[in-house]
Amino acid sequence: MPTLLWMQTAACSGDSMSLLCAESPDLLELLEGHGVELLWHPSLSPTSAADLGRTIDRILADEIDLTVLCVEGSILLGPDGTGMFDSFGGRPKKDLVAGLAAKAQFVLAMGTCAAFGGIPASGPNPTDAVGLQFLRDEPDGGLLEREFRSRAGLPVINLAGCPAHPNTMVQTLLWALSGMRLELDHLHRPTEFYSTLVHQGCTRNEYHEFDVEERDFGAPGCLFFNLGCEGPTTMATCNSILWNNQSSKPRVGVPCFACTSPAFPRAHDLFKTNKIGEVPVVLPLGVNRASYMAYKGLARSAAPARLLERKSKL
Amino acid sequence: MAKRTLSVELNRVEGDLLVKLEIEDGVVTDAWTVGTTYRGFEQLLLGRAKKDALVITPRICGICGTAHLYAAVTALETAMGCAIAQNGTRVRNACLLTEEIQSDARHAFLMFTVDLCGPRYAGHPERDKLHEAFAPFTGRVYRETIVETKRLLEVVAIFAGQWPHSSHMVPGGVVGAQSRRSLVKALSILDGYARWYERTVLGCSIDRWLEVRSLEDLDRWIDERPEHRDGALGLFVRVARDVGLQRLGRGSGSMLSYGAYFDPARWQPPFTERHCLRAGGFHDAATSRIEPFSQADVSEHVKHSWYRDHAPAHPWKGETVPSYEPEGDKYSWAKAPRYRDNVVEVGCFPELFMAGDPLIESLYRAEGVDVFTRQLARLHRPALSLSLLRRTLLDLERDLADPFYLAPRDVDEGDGAGLVHAARGALGHWLQLREGKIARYQVISPTGWNASPRDSAGVRGHWEQSLIGTPIPDESDPVELGHVIRSHDACLVCTVHFVRTGQRARFGAC
Repeated sequence: MPTLLWMQTAACSGDSMSLLCAESPDLLELLEGHGVELLWHPSLSPTSAADLGRTIDRILADEIDLTVLCVEGSILLGPDGTGMFDSFGGRPKKDLVAGLAAKAQFVLAMGTCAAFGGIPASGPNPTDAVGLQFLRDEPDGGLLEREFRSRAGLPVINLAGCPAHPNTMVQTLLWALSGMRLELDHLHRPTEFYSTLVHQGCTRNEYHEFDVEERDFGAPGCLFFNLGCEGPTTMATCNSILWNNQSSKPRVGVPCFACTSPAFPRAHDLFKTNKIGEVPVVLPLGVNRASYMAYKGLARSAAPARLLERKSKL
Repeated sequence: MAKRTLSVELNRVEGDLLVKLEIEDGVVTDAWTVGTTYRGFEQLLLGRAKKDALVITPRICGICGTAHLYAAVTALETAMGCAIAQNGTRVRNACLLTEEIQSDARHAFLMFTVDLCGPRYAGHPERDKLHEAFAPFTGRVYRETIVETKRLLEVVAIFAGQWPHSSHMVPGGVVGAQSRRSLVKALSILDGYARWYERTVLGCSIDRWLEVRSLEDLDRWIDERPEHRDGALGLFVRVARDVGLQRLGRGSGSMLSYGAYFDPARWQPPFTERHCLRAGGFHDAATSRIEPFSQADVSEHVKHSWYRDHAPAHPWKGETVPSYEPEGDKYSWAKAPRYRDNVVEVGCFPELFMAGDPLIESLYRAEGVDVFTRQLARLHRPALSLSLLRRTLLDLERDLADPFYLAPRDVDEGDGAGLVHAARGALGHWLQLREGKIARYQVISPTGWNASPRDSAGVRGHWEQSLIGTPIPDESDPVELGHVIRSHDACLVCTVHFVRTGQRARFGAC
C-alpha cells in the first residue's frame, strides 16, 4: 500500500487549500482510487501531532515505507543555521525533512516556497529561507544537495506556483503512484505542466495581437506592456487548465506575477512593466526585439475599431 | 495528584501551535500558548512599491487570503484617501463572504467535528450517527463538505480569477468590470450551495432556521422533525450539549469586532466613520456594555514576546526587534494585542454579537461564550451570509453599468489602517507610505488576538484564560484542549511579524 506524508514547513497552507480544490482526481478519489495511506496532513489528519513524531521516527527507522513525501513551505535555515525558526517537537523541521527525503521514493515540492524558497526567500530573506533543492534558480542553494535523488532515482519534483495549480498536484501524484514516466525541465518541473505559457489561452489575446495595451485597471485590453503582466514569459497552465473550473488572474484583469518562476516575487514594482521606450525590457519568450517592434507597429495600425473601443468582451 | 506540566503540539489549527499546561488533579491550572514558527513576513515588504502589498500579503495565509487582500487594499485606500467604486466594494464583499461561508463549513466539518469521532466519544449513544456523518475521509458530511466548498469557491474565481491567492482588489475598486453571464453563473453556484446547506447542515429551509432565536427555540426546533434532529447542526447540538461543550473554554469575556463588510455607498473618504453592513464594537465584560470601536485604541505589548522591550504601542508606532531569550519571561513569537489594555476575544461569535444577531445575543445572555456557542455561531452564520451574498450579487447585476474602478490620485505619503473581518475574526493591516514605498507594515491577525501571550501587566491572553479550569481526564488524549482551541477557528499561519531591515537579532535553540 503506497504511503503519503505531507509536511508543512514555513507555509501559508495555500497549497493545501489549493489541493482541496483539485479535480480529476479530487483528493478523495486520489487517495481511495490508489489505496493511498495518508500518514499525515497537518490540516486533515484526525490523529494528534504527537503521532506525527512517532510516524517520522518509524519512517527513519525503516519500519514504515514512505512512498511520497510532499513538502509545502519554505525551508528555514535560520537563525544562524539552526533551523529553529521552524521547529517541531524541539527539532528543526529542516532536519526532519532532510531525513524523510532520504527515505522517500518520490519527493514533491508543493508550491514555489518548497521548490525555490518563494516569498520568504525574497528581498533581505530574514529567516534564511531556501527551497528543497534550489534557492531561487540556484541548484546549489537548497536544503538538499544538487546530486540528491529520491529512491525512484528522481530529484525533488518541483510543482511550482503560488499556490501550485491543484490539478498539477493531483495529476503528478497520480503519475508517480502509477509508475508512469515523468519528464522534468531544467528547474525539475514536470514538462507536461510547465511547457505552456500563461499567455496561451488568455482571453485578452486578441487585444495583445493588435497591440491594444491598457495603462490602468478596469478595461479588457492586454496587461503586458504597462501593468507588469509576465504571462508571455511564464510557464504554467493557468489559461489552459483554468482555476476552480472558472478563470485565471489575467482573464479577470490581474497581471501574471510569474509565481511559477524561481525569481518570484521579483524585486521591482509588481504592477508595472519595465520598458525600453515603448517596449517591455523582457519580451515574450525567445522573441527578437527588432522584429517584435516592427510587428507591434504593424499590429497597431491594423487594430480594428471594436478593439480600440474595447467592445470585444472577455 | 501532584501538580505537573504538559506540552501539547496541536494540529488542525492551520499552522503550528504549542500549548504548555500546568495540570493539578486533572484540571488545567495555568496555560501558555506558543507559536513555533517565525516567517519574517513584514520585513519583506519594507521598501517595496506600495501596491506590492496586494500580492505579498494575501500569501500570509492560504485560508484567509481574500481577507488579507481586502485589509491590504483598505490600508492603502485609507492612506491615500481615495474614493472607491461602489461595485468594487460589492465585488470585494462577495468574495470575502464566499471565503467566509466555505471556511465555516471546512472548519466545522474538516477540523472540529472530527474530534467527536475520536476514542473519547466511542461509547456515546450517538456514536454510529456521528461516524456516519463526521468521520474523517469517510463520513457523509465530511465528504460532501470537500465537494461543496470547492464548488462554492468558484464564485471567488469568477471575480478574482482564482482562489486562493489573487490580487484583484486595487485602490479605487477591483481590476475589472463584470458581465451579466458571470453574475448568473455565480448566482447559480450560490443557490446550489444554499440547497446543500439547507439539506445537509440545517435539515430545513434557511427561513425556518432563522426563526430560531434562543436556546428554547433551538430545543423546540430539534424536537420538531427528525430532519432537524439528525441534520449536521442538530446532531452537533445534541451531542455537544450532552458531552458538556457548553461548559468548556469561557475565557476573557470581553469581545471585539471591527465590523464586517463595508457599506458600498457610505465607506468613502475621509473614512472617519466605519460604515459596515455588520456593525462592530467593543463589548466590555466589566460593564456589559458595547462601546464604539476605535482603531486608535489598539496597542501591542511585547514584555512576554521574543522582541526587544518597549512600552505598549499602537501598530503605527511599535517596533519589532527580535530578542530570543529562552530562559527569561518571554515565551512566544506572538505579540500581545490589547484594546484599551483589555484582553479580548475575536471571531465569528463576537462579530454576530456586535451586529445584534438575535440568536447570538440570546445565547450570550443564557450562557456566555464557550466552545458550544462559538461552534453554533459558525454553523448559523452561513444562513445570514448566503442571503447577504445573494443580495450583493443582485445589486451588482442591477448596477452593472456603473464603474468597478475609479482611478485614484497617486498619493505617496500617508498612514493607513485596513481593518476587516476574516472568517476567524478581526484582521488588521497598518501601513505607512513614504515616497511611494512601504515604510512600515504591521499585521494583527485574528489568531494574534486570541493566541496572545501575557501582556506587560502579566495578564494572560484569551486562550490562556480559556484553558484554565479545563478538565484533562486523559493526558495522552487531551481532546478538551483541542475543543477549546479549535472552537476559535485558529489560524496560526497568519501569525507573522517583521524584523526591520538591517537588524538581526541572536536566537538560541528552542
